[in-house]
Amino acid sequence: MAKVEFRHVVKRFGDVEVIPDLNLTIEDGEFVALLGPSGCGKSTSLFILAGIYLPSGGELLFDGRVVNEVEAKDRNVGIVFQSYALYPHMTVRDNVLFPLRFKRMPREEALARVAAAGNLVQVTELLDRRPGELSGGQQQRVALARALVKEPQLLLLDEPLSNLDATLRLTMRTEIKSLQKKLGVTTVLVTHDQIEATTMADRIICLRAGRIEQIGQPDDLYRRPQSLFIAGFIGSPPINMISGEARDGVMCVGSVVFPFEGAPGAVTVGLRPEHLRFTGSGLSGRIAQLEPMGREILYVVDTVAGYLRVLEHGSIAAHAVGEPVRIGFSPDDSLVFDTACQTLVAAARVGPPA
Amino acid sequence: MAAPLTFNGIHSSPTAPVDWDRMAARARSMRRSKAVALYAFLIAVSLPIILPYFWLVTIAFSARTGVADTVVLWRSVAVLAPAVIAFWLAAVLARNRRQLWLGLTAIALAATAAFAWLVGPDLHLRNFIFLVEPDFASVVRSRVGAVHGAIQFPSVWRAFGNSLLIAGSQTIVVLTVASLAAYYLSRFQFPARAAMLRSLLILHAFPVLTLIVPMFLMLYWIGLLDTLFGVICVLVAFELPFAIFIMKGFFDAVPWDIEMSALTDGASRRQAFLLVVLPQVRNGLLAVAVFTFIRGWEEYIFVFTFLIRNTNWTMSLYMYYVRDDVMGVDYGVVSAVGVFYLVPSLILYVAAQRYLMQMSIGGVKG
Repeated sequence: MAKVEFRHVVKRFGDVEVIPDLNLTIEDGEFVALLGPSGCGKSTSLFILAGIYLPSGGELLFDGRVVNEVEAKDRNVGIVFQSYALYPHMTVRDNVLFPLRFKRMPREEALARVAAAGNLVQVTELLDRRPGELSGGQQQRVALARALVKEPQLLLLDEPLSNLDATLRLTMRTEIKSLQKKLGVTTVLVTHDQIEATTMADRIICLRAGRIEQIGQPDDLYRRPQSLFIAGFIGSPPINMISGEARDGVMCVGSVVFPFEGAPGAVTVGLRPEHLRFTGSGLSGRIAQLEPMGREILYVVDTVAGYLRVLEHGSIAAHAVGEPVRIGFSPDDSLVFDTACQTLVAAARVGPPA
Repeated sequence: MAAPLTFNGIHSSPTAPVDWDRMAARARSMRRSKAVALYAFLIAVSLPIILPYFWLVTIAFSARTGVADTVVLWRSVAVLAPAVIAFWLAAVLARNRRQLWLGLTAIALAATAAFAWLVGPDLHLRNFIFLVEPDFASVVRSRVGAVHGAIQFPSVWRAFGNSLLIAGSQTIVVLTVASLAAYYLSRFQFPARAAMLRSLLILHAFPVLTLIVPMFLMLYWIGLLDTLFGVICVLVAFELPFAIFIMKGFFDAVPWDIEMSALTDGASRRQAFLLVVLPQVRNGLLAVAVFTFIRGWEEYIFVFTFLIRNTNWTMSLYMYYVRDDVMGVDYGVVSAVGVFYLVPSLILYVAAQRYLMQMSIGGVKG
């Protein structure tokens, strides 16, 4: 188990600077998610951790020792790839045994550890099969067993759930999380799927273009996103954004006037769909579309401020398409961002128009 | 009233009802005539290859010294052609597996009996005398009274061994060098990589015959003229570019993930290559091995130019001189040498066929 530190880590591919300056500490035994859209440098960071890429600058430390130059094979890092990367010409047993072949270890002990790892992820009865004969979920378990069998000091997961179907994803999510807690291994999860990150990780590091946009607990990122980017990236269905001009206690969007509290200027208001509700007063609009989601119904409402998404509990639609409605919300749920510098203005509030 | 619109947006006349049956019949006959045309084409293009082989094998087992006898050829055609047609008809007409097997067995039995009766008495192995008698040329000539002037032939097994040595060592060297080079080309960035790939193909574009004279002189200066080693070097040099290109395609198809995974699992680069990457390109290695071996086995131009002593003869040279010496007297022996010459390639192809079918240029499995 290890504490991992990035100190001013830089990675360049030719002229392209993928990671300009990364500073990050991952505590021993922590489950951290690197979250961001594709091309944000999250996989690059993972490969730097694994020792596959050499950082172009800065220092990478495991437990306070610089490991920049330490080769991948000596780092004792377990990695689960998006494609699982099982060796197709070997049986599952040989796959899991593979990392132990390079450690001087008696064969009986190695086989015992393979059996233990197989037991841990419940693939004992699959040991004699080949990867091609396994389902996606089983391959995923085997990949986990292979990563864990050498008792790594660091476990890396590269989009581990993205190739699984929805139900299996749910199960594996729970299993990986409980496995990580049980073994206490420092784990870094790389994903572009915010649900994966928020459900599994203790802490989320949101990356954008190689820079850390925000670090926080899953609910921090959801409730207090520090930038427009995070607000838009986290949450599904996505947050509603209303752009307006604030002055003298009001925010104007076209002809509609919202009560406003805060400094004047161009602002963007973020409103989560579940914080909006249909009331007798407020912003008026017309239902444009219904999206039943099972437990909830998502209404898309056409308003002066553009299409707004409203999430209501219940499975039976209370409003029909074309029906005029008015939308209200609590000022405390509003997130006000400075449009110019894209950051959250913590003190500002917006209320629904009368 | 507007005419109804079809989904293509074309106006169809409401007065002409669609005759579905006629259209179906037309489609059926189209399909059938296409199938017939395809078979006719395949037969037409394969006949010029099949007929000489048929001639070669039949003559090798039946021709007699000094006798130009074509009757046996016609007799075997008379047996084989109806048998093939009957096999085909049985396959088309059989309604189930049992009928098919019954039909095929009956035809096979009838054909064998007819063959034994019509062709059997003419078959013999005397044309294969060269396998046991190095001076067979004199023997064959003496049968027709021409005793003098036969070429001194080495034992055919000597030539066979030489061919095996050339083809085998060429295969081993090409496989080793090509897989390493192709792996490097596939995985690593280095200056002039693209130029190198392009030049690999260009190297293959020139007719090798143009290089015969300079290569002859070079081998002479180095002192490798008339040695098997010299020929092997030349053949390897000419085979490598294409082999590297093919192998690069196979390596390109191996995902990076697997290799990275091996590296993080504690393997060194060399171990990752040997234990994880190489097994993924097994089919490519087999295909390149088979083609390289056969290329070396059938090699003629270089061995003809660079090998002089008759103890250095390969099978192709042996074949050439047999034809030179006894063709006018006995083409049965020439055919027999031909049959003996093609047996190893045939065995190799049959054994490796399963893997060759999976190969295509660029290594994408079909």
